This record gives sequence, C-alpha cells and structure tokens, in this order.
Amino acid sequence: MVEQQTIRLEGSAKEALELGRNRLVVAGVLFAFCFFVLAGRLVGLALTGIGQETDEHVAEVRPKPTQVVSGVRAPIYDRSGKLLAVTLDTVSLFADPSKVLDAREAAEKIVSVIEDLDPEQLERKLAANRNFTWVKRHITPTEQKAVNDLGIPGLFFREEEKRVYPMGPLVSHLVGYTDIDNKGIAGIEKYFDDQLETTDDKVGEPLYLSVDLRVQYALREELSRFMTVFQAIGASGIVMDVNSAEILGMVSLPDFDPNRPQDFPKDSKFNKATLGVYEMGSTFKAFTTAMALENRTVSLRDGYDATDPIRIAGFRIRDDHPKKRWLSVPEIFMYSSNIGTAKMAEDVGPKRHRAFLDKLGLLRRPVVELPEVGAPILPPRWNTLETMTISYGHGLSVSPLQLSSAISSIVNGGVFHNPTVLRRDVGEEVSGKRVVSKKTSNVLRRLMRLVVEKGTGRNANAEGYLVGGKTGTAEKAVNGRYKRDALVTSFVSAFPMNNPRYVVLAMLDEPKGNASTHGFRSAGWTTAPIVARLISRIGPILGVKPVDEESDAIRKAMHIPVYSREKKLATF
Amino acid sequence: MKWKVYALIALAFVTVSSGLYKLSYEVQQLNGDLRNIRAQIKDNRQAIQVLKAEWAYRNRPDNLQALTAKYLPLLLVAPYQVASLEDLPERELSPEITSILGVPIPRRKPRLEIIEEVPLPPQGLHLATYQVQDRDLD
Repeated sequence: MVEQQTIRLEGSAKEALELGRNRLVVAGVLFAFCFFVLAGRLVGLALTGIGQETDEHVAEVRPKPTQVVSGVRAPIYDRSGKLLAVTLDTVSLFADPSKVLDAREAAEKIVSVIEDLDPEQLERKLAANRNFTWVKRHITPTEQKAVNDLGIPGLFFREEEKRVYPMGPLVSHLVGYTDIDNKGIAGIEKYFDDQLETTDDKVGEPLYLSVDLRVQYALREELSRFMTVFQAIGASGIVMDVNSAEILGMVSLPDFDPNRPQDFPKDSKFNKATLGVYEMGSTFKAFTTAMALENRTVSLRDGYDATDPIRIAGFRIRDDHPKKRWLSVPEIFMYSSNIGTAKMAEDVGPKRHRAFLDKLGLLRRPVVELPEVGAPILPPRWNTLETMTISYGHGLSVSPLQLSSAISSIVNGGVFHNPTVLRRDVGEEVSGKRVVSKKTSNVLRRLMRLVVEKGTGRNANAEGYLVGGKTGTAEKAVNGRYKRDALVTSFVSAFPMNNPRYVVLAMLDEPKGNASTHGFRSAGWTTAPIVARLISRIGPILGVKPVDEESDAIRKAMHIPVYSREKKLATF
Repeated sequence: MKWKVYALIALAFVTVSSGLYKLSYEVQQLNGDLRNIRAQIKDNRQAIQVLKAEWAYRNRPDNLQALTAKYLPLLLVAPYQVASLEDLPERELSPEITSILGVPIPRRKPRLEIIEEVPLPPQGLHLATYQVQDRDLD
C-alpha cells in the first residue's frame, strides 16, 4: 500500500494557492449560474412551448396560406345559378426550338394531337434559331395530356388563366367579354370589372344576373329562325318582368362568341337591344293613347275622323290600313291609324306630350348596369308637327330597352321601374314612380289585347296566354330620308293580359316579305309570329298558367267596347 | 456522488436537445405536408372549376335540345296539356258509402272480443256520442 502523503504548504505559497482557489470558485459559481439559467430556460421552453411572445413570432414562421382560389376573376351566373362566365387555369404550349431534335417529326406528332395547327408553319417555327416560340395558347386538358404523352423534348407548358364562356354566343351581348389580360371590355364584364376582379387585397365577388337561360335560349332561337325566314339583317328581343323590371332575356342578332371575339366583325358586337336606337313606329301609339286617356282629352267613346290624310307643314300623314271613315279611340288603336293618333296627340299638345314621354323614361338615357347604353335621339325642336309624328313613332329614336320598360310601366298598373340585369331577391321592394293611373293601365291592357284579338297583331296570339300587344312598322331613316324599302318592324307585347307579368319585345331589321306572308313585311306579318311562338314556349317555363280564352270570366275581364260607327251591310 | 449529478445533467441535456431536434424536424415535415395538401386543394378546386365549366358546356340549351329531339318525342306544350290539381274531377262515391260517411267508425281490433253488436239506428249515424246515449237508454 502506498502511504498517503499530505503536502503542507506554509506562508506565501499557501496564500497564493488560496487566492487561486477563491478565484476559481467565483468564476465556477458564475458560470454554473449562467448554465443553470440556460438549462432552466431550455427545460421551460421544451415543456411549455414558446409562451407569451407567440403570435408575432409564429406568424413570421408559419407558412403563408396559399390562396386556394388563386387570383382569378369571379364567375358570372344566370338567375338560377347556371354558369355564364368562369376563369379557368389553362396551360399554353411553347417550345424551345434549340432543344427540339427533329423539327419535322415533332411537328407531325403535335399536329396529330392538336388538329387545328398548320404542320408546315409549325415545322418552320420549331426549326427556327430561337429559344422560345408559342406552339398554341390555352390548350385543353385533353390536348395537354396527349402532348405530354408524346414525350417530345423541347416542349414545355406554361400555366395561364383564361376567361371561358361555356354558353358561347347565347348571352354574348349581356355578359360581354374580356381582353387577353382578363380585363372586362364589354357588357357586364366591363360594368362590374372592379367587383369581379380579384386583386391582392380582395377576392372577386360572383354575380348573379337576372337573365334566365331557358328564356334567353328560346328568345335567341326564335329570333334567329325568323331572321332567316324573312332574310332580315338583324334582330333583337327583350323579355322583361313587368313588376321587378328584371331582364329575363336580351338578344341582339347577329351576335358573337365571347370565347373568340376577335373572329367576329365589329357590327356583330353591337348590342341592338340597348345601344341601338330606332324610330319604333306604331308601338308609340300605346303611349299616345295612354297619355290622351290619362289627360282626359279624349274618352274611349270619342274618336276622330280618319277619312283624309293630314297635311301639315308640307308633310302628309297617311294610314297604312286606311278605313276612310270616323274611328273611335279603340278602333284607332286596333287598326293602327296614324291620322287618328296624330289628332289625338295634337289635342294633348306638345308640352304635355313631352312631359309624358319623359316620365316614361323615353327622353333620357336609361339607367341599366351595362356600359353599352344608347341615348335617345330627340327632334331638334318639339312643336305640333313633331308631336304628331312622334305620336305614331316617327321622329324620336329610342332603344328597345327603353320601349320595353316604358310598355311594362304602362301595363303593370302604371308604375315605372328602372330596368335591371341583376337578379333581385324574392320579395324585394322595388321602388318606382307612378306614370299613369291604374285605370288607364287597365284600359291599355284591354286595348292591347284587342289588337291581338281583332286588330293588326292577330298573328301574335299564343293561345291560352292572353297575349296583348302593339305592332310597329317604321321606315328606316337613311341620310335624313325615309327609305321605303328598308323597314324596322317591332312587336311589343305583354302576357297574360288579365294580370300582366312579362313584357316581350321582338324586332327585325329590314325583313323581306315572302310567300307565307303574301309579300307583306309589316310587323303584323313578320314579328308578331315570333312573339306567338316565343310566348307559347316560355309561358310554361315562367309558370304562367294558360287560361281558356273563351271562358266568360276572361271575356268579361278583357272586354272593351269598340263604339264603332262602321256601316254594317244590311243582312236579310 | 458528484459524478451522478454530472451524469444526470448530461442525460437531461442529451434528452432535451434530441427532443428539440426531433421536434424541429417534425415541424418542418408537417409544414411540408401542409403545403402539399394546400397545393392539392388548389389543384382540386381548379379541377372542379374545369368540370363545372365542362358541365355547363355540356348542358347548353342547344345541346340539350338536340338530345331531346333525338331521343324524346316531345313537342311544344299546348295550353290544354297544362293542368293543376284543382282541375282534376272529384271522385264519385257510391250512395251507400256516402250514407255512412257521416261518422267515421273505428275499425274493430281483431284481438278484442266484441261483446255486443250495437244495432245501427235506422236513419243512419250522426254523432259519435249518439251510440252511447242510445245504449244507456236500453
């Protein structure tokens, strides 16, 4: 065993050692304290998490939520939620020609899956001495897969966004279209551009339009059918709810496909229903008659002598269907007498005439949520002559939209509402202003029914739906003169006349007569049948119940005395 | 004695640091997963949008009309084909049924034995209480 030896130090050596040890202890304690604090903190953190300073700190660390609907433009729906416009993420195919091995083979292969490309042009593109060339923008998912399956080197996809209109040309003028950067440049797309757009600080809001796709389709189909039958150069039509002023259908033909607007000429993008203004012809007689009855300058019993044309200031006002006798007010309306209507308006006077048409919104640009809205063309002065011509629809140009909203205010009980293309909620209070009394409105309903039952609009009768309306045939004014051979025929109607719910307007631009119309091209022959077919198609869709037109109750409700003084031939 | 304390400290140190190390990697992993799932959600939403557009395109009115013209013998609805429930004629009842329809008689329960057959009053039944009173009088 080795004996343990203790070394003893004395004096100054001991002191030095003592000092060294003290220093060591002090430093050791200091370090131990530090480590102890650190360890404590570490344990604390491991056990309790980060503690108070979480929110700001974690927000920095936390991964940003990827925007799930990536910055896309909001969709547009019809009133029942059917998709009218949507933004899709598409892919575009581009090539890096320097990496393409065999341009000819690649071009052939690509054309075999994307058929609408020109193989020679493509081969030239792929053989070019460049680093980038578009092969095709916005290809379909199927095409993408097919191209991917080909496995050609040097072809790449780039993700892009594209506005797609699944309904094609059906609602083209209403919805409008966007440019390549998805900026709205026409129709709803333009008017509600801000709302639809998704930017960094807001997500686009989808829109629900008032248009009903089924009605819109029926309207477009009937218009285009009759446009072909009568070789018209254009057509337009509107279906409108009379109580809420919602537009359920609005068509302007010729139209375009908003998916590829650049392929269509400019005039097919012109919205005839809102932007075009026309002299509407005899449909204005409804307003003149309503005005005369409202101002009590004439009663239903009264009438005017329509034997001879009126001569005023070098003009001659004639009748298209001259009766050459005294006509009562219902007869003037029923046979569409220009002479009678002009005299009726003369009795009211230009001032009141103007004020009345202004109330109906015919003298101001209508308020509707579309950028393409035409202002009416007013005559430069408005005296007796102008009042007389405007009374039967010449001298004042208005848009079909204005005409249908004015007619709906006449038949709905006399309240004018601003037309709208946005869906209103069920039971929403619609503000409006009274333009004619309930009584006048009631008389006008019966008069319009009379036109379809016995007058110029017989071809518009859709059996069971109590159609009432007014024909309008106007010569087109070209270079300040009326062209005899170019007509604008229109028919404005409402149904069912015992309690009108919808106004239907159809218009043909320059229809030509044919054998089925015995060569006639007036509104009663060309546009009235459109309305008849259209109403029997959309009536069941809109939930209008057909009635028995011969039943006593309906006959009584639609009865209007004609007060004719026509000399009946004596019968024995 | 002292080495035990050291060992304990060392052990605690190793445990805590390895725990933290794992935690940090787990967080990274979860973050990655989250990002993947979000990307998948985005892809799926885009696919849904495409399918919706496709659905709308396939359901274009002209397309549907072509299909109905092909497969269904349908014509324009004529007014006489539209009717409401009120238009249905009322069902004719035979006179004997109407005579006893004045009072609904509860059906006999098969298990119950009917002790007494109550004779119907000659002029037909009127009120439910009528029978009882009649029987009491007997």
